[in-house]
Amino acid sequence: MAEFFIIIVIITILVALGFGLIGMLKGGRRGSDRMFKSLVARISLSVFLFLLVMFAAYMGWIEPNPVVFSTSTQK
Amino acid sequence: MTTATATIPHGVHHHGPEKGLMRWIKTTNHKDIGSLYMWFAFAMLLIGGALAMGIRAELLQPGMQLMEPQFFNQLTTMHGLIMVFGAIMPAFVGLGNWLIPMMIGAPDMALPRMNNWSFWILPFAGGILLSTFFMEGGAPAFGWTFYAPLSTTFAPDSTDFFIFAVHLLGFSSIMGAINIIATVLNMRAPEMKLMDMPLFVWTWLITSFLLIGAMPVLAGVVTMMLTDRNFGTAFFDATGGGDPVMFQHIFWFFGHPEVYIMILPAFGITSHIIPTFARKPLFGYSSMVYATASIAFLSYIVWAHHMFLTGMPVAGGLYFMYATMLIAVPTGVKVFNWVATMWRGSMTFEAPMLWTLSFVFLFTIGGFSGLMLGIAPADIQYHDTYFVVAHFHYVLVTGALWAIIAATLYWLPKWTGKMYNESLAKIHFWWAVISVNILFFPQHFLGLAGMPRRIPDYSLQFADFNLISSIGGFAFGASFFLLTYIVVDCIRNGKPVSARPWKGAKGLEWTLDAKAPYHSFNTPPSRALIEAESQHSA
Amino acid sequence: MSEQKYYVPDGTYWPIIGSIGVTILFVGFANQMHGVSWGASAMVLGFAIVIFMLFGWLGQVVNESVNGIYNSQVDRSFRWGMSWFIFSEVMFFAAFFGALFYARQISVPWLSGEGNNLYTPELWDGFKATWQQIAFSTPGTTLKSGVEMSIPTQLVDTWGLPALNTALLLLSGVTLTFAHHALRAERRNQVISWLVATIVLGVAFLGFQVAEYGHAYADGLQLTSGIYGSTFYMLTGFHGFHVTIGAIMLSVILYRVQKGHFSADSHFGFEGVAWYWHFVDVVWLGLFVFVYWL
Repeated sequence: MAEFFIIIVIITILVALGFGLIGMLKGGRRGSDRMFKSLVARISLSVFLFLLVMFAAYMGWIEPNPVVFSTSTQK
Repeated sequence: MTTATATIPHGVHHHGPEKGLMRWIKTTNHKDIGSLYMWFAFAMLLIGGALAMGIRAELLQPGMQLMEPQFFNQLTTMHGLIMVFGAIMPAFVGLGNWLIPMMIGAPDMALPRMNNWSFWILPFAGGILLSTFFMEGGAPAFGWTFYAPLSTTFAPDSTDFFIFAVHLLGFSSIMGAINIIATVLNMRAPEMKLMDMPLFVWTWLITSFLLIGAMPVLAGVVTMMLTDRNFGTAFFDATGGGDPVMFQHIFWFFGHPEVYIMILPAFGITSHIIPTFARKPLFGYSSMVYATASIAFLSYIVWAHHMFLTGMPVAGGLYFMYATMLIAVPTGVKVFNWVATMWRGSMTFEAPMLWTLSFVFLFTIGGFSGLMLGIAPADIQYHDTYFVVAHFHYVLVTGALWAIIAATLYWLPKWTGKMYNESLAKIHFWWAVISVNILFFPQHFLGLAGMPRRIPDYSLQFADFNLISSIGGFAFGASFFLLTYIVVDCIRNGKPVSARPWKGAKGLEWTLDAKAPYHSFNTPPSRALIEAESQHSA
Repeated sequence: MSEQKYYVPDGTYWPIIGSIGVTILFVGFANQMHGVSWGASAMVLGFAIVIFMLFGWLGQVVNESVNGIYNSQVDRSFRWGMSWFIFSEVMFFAAFFGALFYARQISVPWLSGEGNNLYTPELWDGFKATWQQIAFSTPGTTLKSGVEMSIPTQLVDTWGLPALNTALLLLSGVTLTFAHHALRAERRNQVISWLVATIVLGVAFLGFQVAEYGHAYADGLQLTSGIYGSTFYMLTGFHGFHVTIGAIMLSVILYRVQKGHFSADSHFGFEGVAWYWHFVDVVWLGLFVFVYWL
């Protein structure tokens, strides 16, 4: 669940970054405004994500690289 | 330091070309760079063709006659790499360079200096690639798809040079694509809307997106090869938890868009030549644009149909099969539109039209054999046989190459201000179209009978068709001498033409002087002119 | 009508110099890997030529821009060019993230017998498919390339340096945003101090990254530690390389700001580099989450 939420936030960050790119592409005062706002959104979300990951790890919701794949039936 | 010139005044032909060799090295002119691309591509086509002659010579008879199997494998590998990365792709970029600024009413490309660099990387990359033949252990010999572990564990040292050559070719393609996007979207005449653009421009714009999406992935996968070979990583090595199958996934994620990179501009060219010689506006302009875009989108999500035999979950196989079938729909739209354009047209059959008509017919054959290969259960039978070889040569030789030759003849009068020799061109066409079918059509039968690809020797029952195929191959190879003569003869002694040598031709490029001026449009064309020259005006 | 005056630059030597440079660099690199004595020197020479070319070429562009030779159309062409260049970078990283996800979700589980595939304990006695610890479970194995696998003695630490580094890089994103804001408000002195802070944070990140590599190598996590080591070093390595480039570009921007370039309305050079830095920052976030945690 926590993992799912983290991935959603990452995707949102990528979208914000993409909007920043479009703003840069448009240029001019309006494009510049749009770029700046998107980048502010992206950095705020990123800081939020970092705190989220740290908190989730602290609470034990996620573990670093947890996967030990189950071995199937022993022959 | 500031060597730049000021802006070009209205209507004044600014500086012409410099003199001598430096003109070509320093040039920022789209026509010069386009010509450089075209000549480079032609040189590579001849080299790659010579390698193919070697292949067909060995396959003329069963048994080993001329070369070691290892050298045969080097020939097939380098033939594929040179033709794909050295001939077809640069030729299309060259055509794009020449034509796109003229078609959208611009003076030049958007980023002319970068344009120069994207060409001038190519001779170096090509040089590195060709030099592998002279290295210890010989050239890469693992097929143009360079599957791991053949290309990692079992490959000669020269593979590292091949990897760097691919990196350089990738840089060049990415820069070329960025330039074309910037040109089309930013240098277009202000009065020209997107849906006014000629289809060659549209197809190249969409191809550029494919290039920028796919080439970096190729760079990534060869980088993984490089580190697997030299730095002990385990991307494609199951010992360390990696997977050779992963190589195929990443490679074909690049590889499938790549095949559309090599055919979409050809669709664009066809959509110019057929209306001209049918003397009718193009049928279904907007559906052509949407079909091109759908093909491009689908090309990103069908890659594993190259891997049905590699193994994947059944659901995966089913998905990739149906998604592949889906591509036939927009492609069918295109073929339908070309035929509908010709319907009740007053057609004439000059050489560019002959090439284009045979393109429509022969490419469709290649498309249908592609559909057959796309059926997962049937592919188990066809996979890695000569049927595959026949399929992709029908789409790449009689598809992509055909369109390049058609475009060269069609626009040569605009590039040189002179006309090529029409009767020679017709002789060349019939020579090539007959020999190419003798060359590749029997390979369908060979493949269905079970002859595997990439082998220097074969069992006796394949002997007859291989003999026929080789004879066709030599005849087809020889036809390129005639093509060289036709082009050089046109440049040297062609008869001067008017600004619009093809009576039915539409497009802004035909409004320029007979021999297009060094800088195409110094002032943007007016709305009235754009509408009069657009592909969907009657 | 000023839009209708097109700009086409004169001929240029930089591309051919660049081509010669990268060719020498790559040929030298290949020879170096094959143990040829002059390989390394050729690499250095090629690299120097490429750097010379980049500074010369971009310097010329900056000069022309400052002298007002360009018009708004050229500016837009640069914007398109930069945007799609960055998109190609995104796709390059996507290839490596794709490899990470594939190995993580498909190839390593398959090796453990999932999905009726090969049952690996028959090949390697006692093989247990684990993710980061892949090398633990295949002890004493030699890779197909002939290199012996390096066995890590412990897992990558996630709380210490990596978390600190993430904080540093995110902070640099924040300071860069402040610089951006200051530039848009024409407060040049603030731009300079925030830019300096960004660069310092970036360099600190690189320093800690080197220290992190040192720890990991000492613990036995190396390029030769199987697929986790491969993806770990390739992803973080290419990321570090991009941070280096970004820091150099930021320094150039800092120099240009001091020289009085850019205005509140026209500062594409700054925007391009700023976006690049944000992009590199996001890539690291992806790395931190996917390589270290999930």
